[in-house]
Amino acid sequence: MWKEYSRDYIRNNRSSVLSVRVAALISALLLSLLCGSFYNMWKYEVERIELEEGAWQSRIVGELKPEEIEVIKNFANVKDVAVEEKTVDLYFDDYGAVFSDTPRIAEAVGVLPDKVIYNYELLAMYLIRGKGDTAPRLLFPMFLLILALASFSLIVMIHNSFAVSMNGRIHQFGIFQSIGATPKQIRICLLQEAAALCAVPVVLGNLLGIGGSMGLVALSNLLLGSDIPGRHQSVPGYHPLVLLLTLLITVLTIWISAWLPARKLSRLTPLEAIRTTEELALKRRRKSRMLAFLFGVEGELAGNALKAQGKALRTASLSLICSFMAFTVMQCFFALSGISTRETYFEKYQDAWDIMVTLKDTEIDGFEETEAVQSLPGVESAVVYQKVRAKGIVTEEEMSEEMKAFGGFSYASGNEAVRAADGWLVNVPILILDDNSFLAYCEQIGALPRLDGAVVINQIRDVTNPDFRHPQLMPYIKGEKGSRILQNSVSEEAIEIPVLSYTEKLPVLREEYATLDYYELVHFIPLSLWSEIKGQIGGTEEDTYIRVLGREYVTKEELQALQDEITELMGQSYTVECENRVQEYENNEKQILGFKLVLGGFCVLLAIIGIGNVFSNTLGFVRQRRREFARYLSVGLTPEGLRRMFCIEALVLAGRPVLITLPLAVLAVGYMLKLSYVDAGEFLAEAPLVPIVVFMLGILGSVALAYGLAWRGVRKISLGEVLRDDTMM
Amino acid sequence: MEILKCEGVRKVYGSGGNQVVALDGIDLSVNKGEFVAITGASGSGKSTLLHILGSVDKPTEGRVLIDGTDLSQLNQTQAAIFRRRKVGLVYQFYNLIPTLTVQKNILMPLALDKKKPNREFFEEVVGSLGISEKLEALPSQLSGGQQQRVAIARSLIYRPALLLADEPTGNLDQKNSGEIMDMLKLSNRSLDQTMILITHDEKVALEAERVITIEDGRIIRDERRR
Repeated sequence: MWKEYSRDYIRNNRSSVLSVRVAALISALLLSLLCGSFYNMWKYEVERIELEEGAWQSRIVGELKPEEIEVIKNFANVKDVAVEEKTVDLYFDDYGAVFSDTPRIAEAVGVLPDKVIYNYELLAMYLIRGKGDTAPRLLFPMFLLILALASFSLIVMIHNSFAVSMNGRIHQFGIFQSIGATPKQIRICLLQEAAALCAVPVVLGNLLGIGGSMGLVALSNLLLGSDIPGRHQSVPGYHPLVLLLTLLITVLTIWISAWLPARKLSRLTPLEAIRTTEELALKRRRKSRMLAFLFGVEGELAGNALKAQGKALRTASLSLICSFMAFTVMQCFFALSGISTRETYFEKYQDAWDIMVTLKDTEIDGFEETEAVQSLPGVESAVVYQKVRAKGIVTEEEMSEEMKAFGGFSYASGNEAVRAADGWLVNVPILILDDNSFLAYCEQIGALPRLDGAVVINQIRDVTNPDFRHPQLMPYIKGEKGSRILQNSVSEEAIEIPVLSYTEKLPVLREEYATLDYYELVHFIPLSLWSEIKGQIGGTEEDTYIRVLGREYVTKEELQALQDEITELMGQSYTVECENRVQEYENNEKQILGFKLVLGGFCVLLAIIGIGNVFSNTLGFVRQRRREFARYLSVGLTPEGLRRMFCIEALVLAGRPVLITLPLAVLAVGYMLKLSYVDAGEFLAEAPLVPIVVFMLGILGSVALAYGLAWRGVRKISLGEVLRDDTMM
Repeated sequence: MEILKCEGVRKVYGSGGNQVVALDGIDLSVNKGEFVAITGASGSGKSTLLHILGSVDKPTEGRVLIDGTDLSQLNQTQAAIFRRRKVGLVYQFYNLIPTLTVQKNILMPLALDKKKPNREFFEEVVGSLGISEKLEALPSQLSGGQQQRVAIARSLIYRPALLLADEPTGNLDQKNSGEIMDMLKLSNRSLDQTMILITHDEKVALEAERVITIEDGRIIRDERRR
């Protein structure tokens, strides 16, 4: 049947099969993009693990003699052995044999099993899991889930393109069946057609997808680079196996999409098929009251025609609605998130820091360059600090009246505040400031500048009001005690320290307090005091921080130069990570732009599927609907009326996504506003109306173009010819 | 020699209160080479009978045997192959594939079987039907009479045991109707082709050697004319 029928059909009906080609191209493109991106993500992760942990597969901890190393090297599967100070790293040819060969190697050189460790994270990237690897490795399951969801969604969307192309010829297949074509022959014929139609788009889509995935890596490098701590520059790559897998999945997805309508069609009896006239008909009486009310008889006819085309237009409607809704919600989300981030982060810390230095694994009392940093030219102020977690008791009597009024500790959960014999045991975050900064802070709050006491932040928010953006603050305690007892967060050890002041004023640091645990009682202490009490309290966090503030209106370049100076000052003694406020702001903007580009790109692709479907449907109008149009004309509908009917159809098709999306978007935005406590007026002032309107106009314009092109064909219909013509019966 | 036999064929459409009995106990026997006309008023069940004989529909009850094959026992694929090789169908509205040339339309039953046509027989058929000059034309480029000739040629190309024609002249003018009937008679005689013709036109029916009249799904008359 291919040679006799399908080849000519494809050749002579290029416009009718266009949507199938477009659908296949988009499917291949999306799946290839997904697989290519996943491969690059996997590659990046492998590189990251190799950079952070090393590329070894198993490791023997301990010192080995040269002859033992030689024994290991002579193992068949061992590719290389790297001897470090007290470790021996093993590299294998076949990763699959790591868990069986390493114990044998250990035994051969007399090493106990507990001295052998594996690079589980790296091996899991090659789908090799050992018994000791208990961590959840979700990369591959997530990929498979996303891939399955993508394939399923594509099948739902594109099978209709095939169905439209196939169903348009049911009558012809009925004739074939009546002259002896078997259901299998019909099915094979339709699948051969699908294969012929999709071969080029699949290859092209795959190539574009590969290019796209490379582009995404390049884009992420461009937007994020290696400025973000812990991120390295990724090199785009591809593997023939990925191409093979992508082709397999694409072909399977398209085959299922074509097979579903082909199977349905081949199951029709010849009588059912031959009686199908290809005309669109309503299965039951449907009323288009609104359209009839608004546009009169043309409105009712257009409404009925749209309902009759329901199935053919389902993909188009669904794709357009989903794409517009996703785009609108995405734009609103990013606008809202932008406002929130700006207010809670950038604006709040605008004057708090310019450069944040993290001294990895460094105790504050071991850091000796404090004064050198503080006296660097261009440094307005610099605070060196370290965080400690301790506990403290708040008694019933010292609780402030305001706090008692909202219920005291009755809202505390978990270990936020634990009932103790003499009060409530609460968490006490201690911030150790370098002495100079602590003295400056004392002066700022009007306390006696001394280095033997603490400043306690006497402030708590009304915990019953969840509005984090506008918290109602009040005194925590009465603040009458001249000293407080600090307790070790692990042991029972405690120590009493003098209190220099109770205040609500915070030192200028890039820290947030009492955001998760509202009952925290924050203490600031000088380094001198810490040196005396650290033996009893303990509980320091691993890193020490330096908050650096440059001069006002400092530029990115100046900050970069200052950052370089600080890094140079630290020399080789410390492991340093630097953040630059201006740079971070730019990185954040770039990241959001990247997310918007990727998500927006998916929305546009989704819209293209819908628009492709509208085009395929309208281009098939002349054949499929000419009897319908001829009947309208024969009962007196003017060509102008027919054109009006066309315009109404196009308007409904393009307007439906907007009408459905707007109320849902309003609800979604309302919900997001409620969660984020951003004022509606503030959001409206920055609402992303321009991109949403542009997207909407894009849909409207494309649908109008599709109907416009179809109208050119319909205009040429000869009434007499159509009503006389029986060849299609 | 008996080529077709119907035993108690009954066809009911719909269910419950909406049941319509289209055929009600048809018993019929046709011998090889016979030219039979089935007549009856509109809705009498003649087209339903033709569809069942052509294996495009199945009886609700009863058996239909053509050339020894019980049609009620065939699955969809077997029925399609049976139609292809044993039955030729001609419809009132021709049912040609609009995208295929006349030649491809005619040879389609053979192509479905991946068989090469017997050139001599093909030329004999198209020659006798007067469409030799139109082989490369598309159906839409032909007149109604020409399209019906193509449909007849297609139904004959496999030399089927039975040719079934459903109102083959119903859409044609008098001149073309006469020509088509002449051609059907010719193939009946020269090819010894068994032929069953459905018509509501008495004049057309009289061209057949046996006329069966159906009313309300039952055979009410079966007369041999010569």
